[in-house]
Amino acid sequence: MAAIIQAPQSYRSRYLWLDRERGRFLVHRSAYTSPEIFEEERRRILHRSWIVLGHESEVPNKGDFVVRQVVDRELIFNRDVEGNVNAFFNSCRHRGAAICREPRGNRTRFVCPYHGWAYKSSGELFNQHSTFGYGERFNEGGFYNLTRVARIDKRAGFYFVNFDPNAIPLDEYLQDAGPMLDAIADQSAVGMEVVRGCHEYEIKANYKLICENSYDGYHLDITHSSFVDYMRTMVRGVPVSEMNIRGIAKSLGNGHACFELEIPTGRPVAQWLPVWGEEARVEIEAKKKELEGRLGKVKADRISVTNRNMVIFPNSIINDQQTVLLRTVTPTAHNRMIIRAWSIGPKDEGPVLRRIRNEGALSFLGPGGFATPDDVEMLELCQRGFENSDIEWNDISKGFRRDENTLHDYDDHYDNELQMRAYWFRWNEIMSAPEPRG
Amino acid sequence: MSAALLLRLSVEDFLYQEAALLDDWKLREWLALFSPSARYEIAPTGDPDAGTLSSADALFLVADDRERLEQRVIRLQKPQAHAEYPHSRVRHVYSNVRILKDTGAQIEVNSNFVTFRNKRGITATYMGWHRYLLSRSEDSYLIDLKRTVLDLDGLVPQGKVSLLL
Repeated sequence: MAAIIQAPQSYRSRYLWLDRERGRFLVHRSAYTSPEIFEEERRRILHRSWIVLGHESEVPNKGDFVVRQVVDRELIFNRDVEGNVNAFFNSCRHRGAAICREPRGNRTRFVCPYHGWAYKSSGELFNQHSTFGYGERFNEGGFYNLTRVARIDKRAGFYFVNFDPNAIPLDEYLQDAGPMLDAIADQSAVGMEVVRGCHEYEIKANYKLICENSYDGYHLDITHSSFVDYMRTMVRGVPVSEMNIRGIAKSLGNGHACFELEIPTGRPVAQWLPVWGEEARVEIEAKKKELEGRLGKVKADRISVTNRNMVIFPNSIINDQQTVLLRTVTPTAHNRMIIRAWSIGPKDEGPVLRRIRNEGALSFLGPGGFATPDDVEMLELCQRGFENSDIEWNDISKGFRRDENTLHDYDDHYDNELQMRAYWFRWNEIMSAPEPRG
Repeated sequence: MSAALLLRLSVEDFLYQEAALLDDWKLREWLALFSPSARYEIAPTGDPDAGTLSSADALFLVADDRERLEQRVIRLQKPQAHAEYPHSRVRHVYSNVRILKDTGAQIEVNSNFVTFRNKRGITATYMGWHRYLLSRSEDSYLIDLKRTVLDLDGLVPQGKVSLLL
């Protein structure tokens, strides 16, 4: 599939322009601004990719449900009375009304508010609130049961869905992003859980801009210089020799990529900051010891000190830093998206570290934090710049080597742009392929 | 006038002054209204129990102790706080002020609010209520807690809380 753009050849399509002689990697701005291309993306990419739905801890008990957006679909994500986890379209099979109106709760049945069609938590229609008008065989073969999303599967506690019945299996799709998810689950022997509270906010920009931004190491000390100033006050007590940022970028296959940073800004699992105090130090040291005993020193060290921001192509984002932040991205138009983000931590975390997790995450992340509002601003400035000019191409060349194998490669500099090239390489591959029929 | 009414009037005067400082982006003066152990919090949106949640158990939008609040104020005065450079136009409207409790040492106050923010042709509206814990200080008050609960499912379309509510 990718044969035409193997290194070291140059390449040009409607969307992508690789000039390896000159070290240029360019993306056409219509990919961010065209409503037609957005429609095509929805059809070719968003409705055919594995996209994160949620975490198993959100539906721990039989009957638990949450209503969730995935791309342009509204889904009921629930655990039925048999204990199975399901994803149904939130639409009555009769006349279409959204049957579930609360954002979350516990229900053993879903009853449509319009005509009273009633479904079991397994999706089975069992009552139409009518004594006449329907024959015995009306729901034969479960014809009128709630419609399931074509595919649902889980990795390391994270549930993913895919609207394409012919999609490849999730584990195959994730490639090297899979073990990254496993490493998050490894943070606790008893499992991870989503903390109460969701950051939901709209950004008036193309959805791919937040993906690019989430693992962009290059913008950190410019866009977030005021956060860096704040961090300097928070890391007092940390030796200056440990203050420099070390990190790498990796493309993980299939358009997925991440950067990994070693930066002493503190992690509840398990890197202590002096400003957190003695009580926290004791808990963090115990956590570190537990990790070492369970996973060995190498793995434990890696989990303890490495911050990792990852984008699972095309729009699932996991930032593992002051907390594990799961971000879903719902594009609502070519120039608009809604972000929903949840904080995830160990189920067995004590109150001292949980508070540090919850409040520490806020200092950087989230729409009231010291960094995310400025990212929102930058993405909106980008969209504005695209739409207010006649300039055709965006540049993401930093670190582009003549021999770079963008789909699966490694860069010693976290602040190069390999991550984004991995994304666009895969995006272009899908969007430029002959479209499958039917 | 009754003592209860006089108390409410003096608290209202204080809150209107607080709002005026925010409207004018006089953040240093605003910060000076807070006691050394004060907290400033914005509870999670979309949660029916937002008024009683603790940042120890839930992901807030803002959960500042006095030190982080001071850092927030310092940051918001820099051009590098990009979302607020140049500062947006903001207007804080407080109403329905009620004294819930007066222990002598501390007064518990609720206020409804609507805050407007305008920038680059877009006006965002934030509505909800504030809970204050005020302690008496000479002839005025100091804020021990300002907790904001937004009547919003999420920040759609507001996008962010880059201002102080």
